Amino acid sequence: MSPLVLIALALITYVSRAVAVVLLPRPSARFETILSRIPAPIFASLATATLLGDGGALASGPTLAASAGALLLSPARSLLLCLIGGAVGYAAGALLS
Amino acid sequence: MVVRALPAAAAVAVFGSLYGAAARGFLGVPLTLASSLLVYSGALQFALVALLGAGATTLPLLLTAGVLNLRHLVLGAALRSRFESGPLRRALLAFFLADETFGFAIAAGNAAEPRAVGAATERTLLYSGLTLYVAWLVGTVVGLVGGGLAAVEGLAGALFPVLFIGLAALAATRRSHVVRAVAAALLTAAVALLLPDLRMLAPVVAGVVVALPGGDR
Repeated sequence: MSPLVLIALALITYVSRAVAVVLLPRPSARFETILSRIPAPIFASLATATLLGDGGALASGPTLAASAGALLLSPARSLLLCLIGGAVGYAAGALLS
Repeated sequence: MVVRALPAAAAVAVFGSLYGAAARGFLGVPLTLASSLLVYSGALQFALVALLGAGATTLPLLLTAGVLNLRHLVLGAALRSRFESGPLRRALLAFFLADETFGFAIAAGNAAEPRAVGAATERTLLYSGLTLYVAWLVGTVVGLVGGGLAAVEGLAGALFPVLFIGLAALAATRRSHVVRAVAAALLTAAVALLLPDLRMLAPVVAGVVVALPGGDR
């Protein structure tokens, strides 16, 4: 891969990041309401995507246990508690597998 | 804010080292380092290594970059409504837009007083972005010089779903958000199983699809 291709890739990536942030006007109230609903579903989807590999293969046992630990503590709505739940789950999963 | 991003930074550094070690054989040291400096996108950079390993030419590389980066449009639009600064500052902040930094920024905005949402969101995007950027670069250099962090790859890999679950919990400020989050997770799982080629796009598509209908409760 040449340096020019790398620069093109960097430009594509930066423009994709900047186009909405820089060029989009402040959204209308209706659009803003819809946008405010997006983050939680996206994060839930990203979590799911990281747990499923090619062909729907599940992640390792400790990773699944870590996710279960975080999910269990998610009603507390604290990132720290989710991380603690994940760490405990991972340790338990590693011990059992 | 930097402290809150440290667990994610540690995981990013581990994956940066794996990227540095994997990319070195295809790109050489200068281009591998330049790719992390200029592109700063783990998903895209790992995809590039895989494509180069399969002998891909320039066009597939550029198309892959376009497709993988589509999600930034949605993340950027969701952040735009919270930003209050001018276009130059927003252009600088945009460089640090990634899945994780988006999550930290949204969570900080949700936790802030109504009149401080913009400042909290922008400050968090900048600081968490810088933290993860430095971690990605350090990890890449470690991988390039042959330092292996592969021993903790499993632990680092487990951190991402845990982090995203925590960020989803923080972002779900209403009961309807929780319902939409569960629906999006199920939709993503269905896409991953039935249309595996679209797996990388599924999170953003599912996030948008479930956000459109109905009202908020």
